[in-house]
Amino acid sequence: MDQFIEQIVTGLSIGSILLLVALGLSIIYGSMGIINLAHGEFVMLGAYAAWVFHTYLGLGLLASLVPIFLVVAAFGWVIERYVLSLLNNRPLDTILATWGVGIMLQQAVRLMVGSELRYVQLPPALSDSMSVFGIPVSSYRVFLFVVSIALFGATWLLMNRTTVGMKLRAIIQDRSVAASFGINAKRVYALTFAYGAGLAGLAGALVSPLKSVSPDMGTGYVVDAFMVVVLGGVQSLAGTVASAFILGELSGGIAFLQNDTVAKAIVLLAIVVLIRFRPEGLFTARVRA
Amino acid sequence: MPSHVPHSSGLQRLIAQLAPLLIVCAVVFALPVLLNNDFLLNKVARYLVLGILTVSLGLSWGFGGILNLGQAMSFGLGSYAMAMALKLKTVPVHTGASGLPDFMVWNNVQHLPWFWEPFRSLSFAIAAGLIVPALVAAALGWFMFRGRVTGVYVSIITLATMVVINLVIIDQQSYTGGFNGITDLAQLEIFGVAFDAYGRATYYLVAGCVLLSLLVAFAFTRTKAGLIVQAIRDHESRVRYFGYDVALYQIFVFALSAAIAGLAGMLYTVVMEFASPTFLGVQLSLSVVVWCAVGGRQSLVGAFLGAVLVAGMQGALSESAAFLETWTLVMGALFVLVVLFLPKGLAGLAQVVLRWIVQRRHAAGRGVAQGVGQTEGST
Repeated sequence: MDQFIEQIVTGLSIGSILLLVALGLSIIYGSMGIINLAHGEFVMLGAYAAWVFHTYLGLGLLASLVPIFLVVAAFGWVIERYVLSLLNNRPLDTILATWGVGIMLQQAVRLMVGSELRYVQLPPALSDSMSVFGIPVSSYRVFLFVVSIALFGATWLLMNRTTVGMKLRAIIQDRSVAASFGINAKRVYALTFAYGAGLAGLAGALVSPLKSVSPDMGTGYVVDAFMVVVLGGVQSLAGTVASAFILGELSGGIAFLQNDTVAKAIVLLAIVVLIRFRPEGLFTARVRA
Repeated sequence: MPSHVPHSSGLQRLIAQLAPLLIVCAVVFALPVLLNNDFLLNKVARYLVLGILTVSLGLSWGFGGILNLGQAMSFGLGSYAMAMALKLKTVPVHTGASGLPDFMVWNNVQHLPWFWEPFRSLSFAIAAGLIVPALVAAALGWFMFRGRVTGVYVSIITLATMVVINLVIIDQQSYTGGFNGITDLAQLEIFGVAFDAYGRATYYLVAGCVLLSLLVAFAFTRTKAGLIVQAIRDHESRVRYFGYDVALYQIFVFALSAAIAGLAGMLYTVVMEFASPTFLGVQLSLSVVVWCAVGGRQSLVGAFLGAVLVAGMQGALSESAAFLETWTLVMGALFVLVVLFLPKGLAGLAQVVLRWIVQRRHAAGRGVAQGVGQTEGST
């Protein structure tokens, strides 16, 4: 029984990291129809920003979260403004463009700070462990779980209870009608992309104490995050949450029964089959209209 | 402008379309005369093989509209088919009684597994290197296109499938050599000709396959099936309303493209002298997409040259690590610029330039003709 609960908790922990990374991707993909292959690099930038703030400015991880969000969001804004907005009518080409941007970001970081692994310290206040259902769990993982849920809540509020969110939803429904009502679609898109990028940066900063930081760390995340978004259904934030935890539990569970490789292969296959047989529910993606 | 182009016959047009292809192939065949360096020749052969791989992607992406992000899967399967046959031809050093490959001995495998057995025959291996990728692609294509999966989801499915196969190959170390791949291979030998990776024979084998695959791909684009495939790319539902079985054509072009990629994979094993899981890795697969986009996805020769030039430049600069790092940055930027401003790649650019030259020539010709007419009138 203990082992079972332990498995569930591990799954929740994997799921919360997945959710953190996938949330930004889900916003960008769901609302703009852009497959952002540079998302992993935004995660990486966030992790490096955490390292820079810590090493050069002596800021703790928690204190630097807000500046990290802003820095990576600014990157996202620039990329939307000067690259992606030129590809309005070619959604498939955004895959290629964002991949190129990703390579550039990765390589620029490698040139500037080298490809050695970097480490970020756990916040001292969260470095002990606590007991969840009688299972000792690192406090930081519990913290991640809480933060991922909180960020989801904030994003939901932003989408559904603010003017910007309302404008965005209007543009998703019909861009030209929204524009004729005076909504500046370009600006809203740039802000949306920036917000998604900022979320990715936060995700990178938050996972940086758990994993080592390297220029190519983002590649793994982007694939996993995509699977979360695809499984959850485009434009459905709640679906993203559900699928993040389903995938977390699944990978944790299969990895426990078999091994990591088999877990990954089975999860990928399951998603391939799902794309094929549930297209209507999951793929009513409205590409930029 | 059209009035100045004479009504060219079908044959003339065919020759005009074939000309770039034949010129490029002639250069490829002539290169060993100029390049008297076996090491360099081996490198060039490598880029040519990557060129074939990129042509195969151009066929499914540029002509079929199917952005296959897992093109390296077919490449890798072909490469492993060849490596398995060549491995069984080696004189094994660390073997048990039955001539097991060395990595199987290290992993305590007692008998050659059943799926290795037929690879004792080279002809079987070569057939498998073409047919297995084609069958896998056909099955995947059937799975996707019968379900009317399109666009981005095709890309996700192909990428995910490739990653799964890659994971399985790495995981099943005792049967596949795992992370290290299959190394220490024998030389390929067909009809008494030995194909040393650094020999001329190998280079000409590769060059011949370049010509063959370009011609096959070109011929396909001109058949009725090839035209329907392009029509599907441009407007899928309209073709469906005409009563064509859209999925069938998509499956066919997908499988044909996979077979060509499989051929490239087999050649790659011969040229590189090993097979590795990186041959069906995400890195290579996405690089192929870049090459194809830079060269021109809707031009077979463009895609081929894109691969040879970009991969070749990368190879030339990789001598110095600092250069390579900067180069990767430059390549990323170049790629973004091409996607933004040259959606038809360098081939599209060449077309624009050519048309401009022809137009100017026509304009100049008209000027001269008018001049002649005037002088005649005055006399």
